[in-house]
Amino acid sequence: MTALLGVRGLRAGYGSAAVLHGIDLEVAPGEVVVVLGANGAGKTTLLRAISGLIPHTGEITVDGRLCRDATPDAMLRLGVSLVPQGRGTLTDLSVQDNLRVGATTRRDSKDIDTWYSVFPVLGQRRDQLAGTLSGGEQQMLAIARAMMARPRLLLCDEISLGLAPVIVQGLFDVLRGLNTEDGTALLLVEQNAELALDIAARVYLLEVGTVAAGGPAGEFSDNDAVRRAYLGY
Amino acid sequence: MGIFLDRLFAGATAGSLYVLIALALVVVFRSSSTINFAQGEFALFTSYLAWWCTTKGVPLIAALAVAIVAGFGMGVATERLLIRPVRRRSETAVLIVALGLFTALNGADGWIWGPDDKVFPHLLPNGVNDYIAIGGGRLHYDSIGIIALMIIVVFGLTMLFKHTSLGLRMRAVATNPESAALSGVRVGFVLSVSWGISSALGAFAGVLAVPALPPNQLNLASFFPILIFASAAALLGGLDSVKGAVIGGLSVGIGLSMINGYATFLGGELQLTLAFVIIVLVLVVKPTGIFGARRIERV
Repeated sequence: MTALLGVRGLRAGYGSAAVLHGIDLEVAPGEVVVVLGANGAGKTTLLRAISGLIPHTGEITVDGRLCRDATPDAMLRLGVSLVPQGRGTLTDLSVQDNLRVGATTRRDSKDIDTWYSVFPVLGQRRDQLAGTLSGGEQQMLAIARAMMARPRLLLCDEISLGLAPVIVQGLFDVLRGLNTEDGTALLLVEQNAELALDIAARVYLLEVGTVAAGGPAGEFSDNDAVRRAYLGY
Repeated sequence: MGIFLDRLFAGATAGSLYVLIALALVVVFRSSSTINFAQGEFALFTSYLAWWCTTKGVPLIAALAVAIVAGFGMGVATERLLIRPVRRRSETAVLIVALGLFTALNGADGWIWGPDDKVFPHLLPNGVNDYIAIGGGRLHYDSIGIIALMIIVVFGLTMLFKHTSLGLRMRAVATNPESAALSGVRVGFVLSVSWGISSALGAFAGVLAVPALPPNQLNLASFFPILIFASAAALLGGLDSVKGAVIGGLSVGIGLSMINGYATFLGGELQLTLAFVIIVLVLVVKPTGIFGARRIERV
């Protein structure tokens, strides 16, 4: 089967500072993949390159087709949407307007009510500015905003960062539902390895800009040596 | 009472023109956090263009349309060709480009049209007897027209920002270009259109302003004071706020008219100084302006 997302020999960075030194990675349709790694391993850079925010060399393919000069707009139209690190909501806009902007590539915003039923608190605060929401609510909004484009692959950059465990659990339940019910593929970058391994089918371990190891999630959570070395628990 | 009303009407007329230019600054600042100091020179160039059209027998209203279209094109071209390439390097570079453009346009205007004053027709009748008497004051038709057009533009911009998809995308880019891009907004397109709308607005205001504000003629220095007053207005109201531009523009227009009329010991010469005092005071005391949300961190 053709991979939904294919990454081969991906190099990217900021200015003259290279961060990724040739990454190979695949996500199959409907698959949940998690990328683990220490701070500075290049996890965020990887997602930013895939979503077209920063230039790259090497290959990024969607459905086997090469994406040249990928822009965020083009990647979104191909079905790849990113929940960036640090929420990435439009803080000066209302909750409702954030979701409307999320539907830019679709020109209809019918899903807004669906997302209000997934996250009722967003519905209650639809006219509030996004910047006035709590961290957890902003992360809900960020996920809903990214999903408004109806992506086939959702990239999530550390959505658990700085949030209470109970909130994180709720967000992961929603992600799991997106995957099992709607077949949305997920590529998660996470520090919270335990939760991520729980919903992931496969894992990549990133180490200073290269893929150090990869394989089924079960192998990683059961392997004490790998766990201590890479996951820190 | 009559004299007070005369001054109030004159102030509201000048103020409405400051509102329009301030709005041009607001539209660009909202989307790109840049203060377009070349705005006044855009308006000067398009006003010359409109004047030139009228000398060729084109009706003023058609000349106005030419100016607006040319203004839009200049705004888009400036963003694409001059601002975008340097924005990646630094905000200071953008400022320097704007100032360079200011000088270059002024020089080009002088080269094309010469340094002598051009008489510019009023859009609406403005003879000695073309006024409505209200409580002993004279409200000229030209003033009514300018104030009405300002209200229409404010209404139009408010609708654009609040109720259109383009307006939503403009607000999204203003808040966070990266998040907007991640939502599929074509940030470059939105920025170009913002600069276009801003410059078209400036062109429109320019054609109205030349005959209505001193020196009532078109010359190379016509827009320098207007831009200063409009900048003071925009800063006072808050550079990212339409409401702020309206309140700021009218306050500056009416305030200066009153000071000019009643505080005669200050003399007309101090008006520009007063505008600078407003600018400095706002930057020091309340950098967001009265209604603005974003502070001016880089000027």
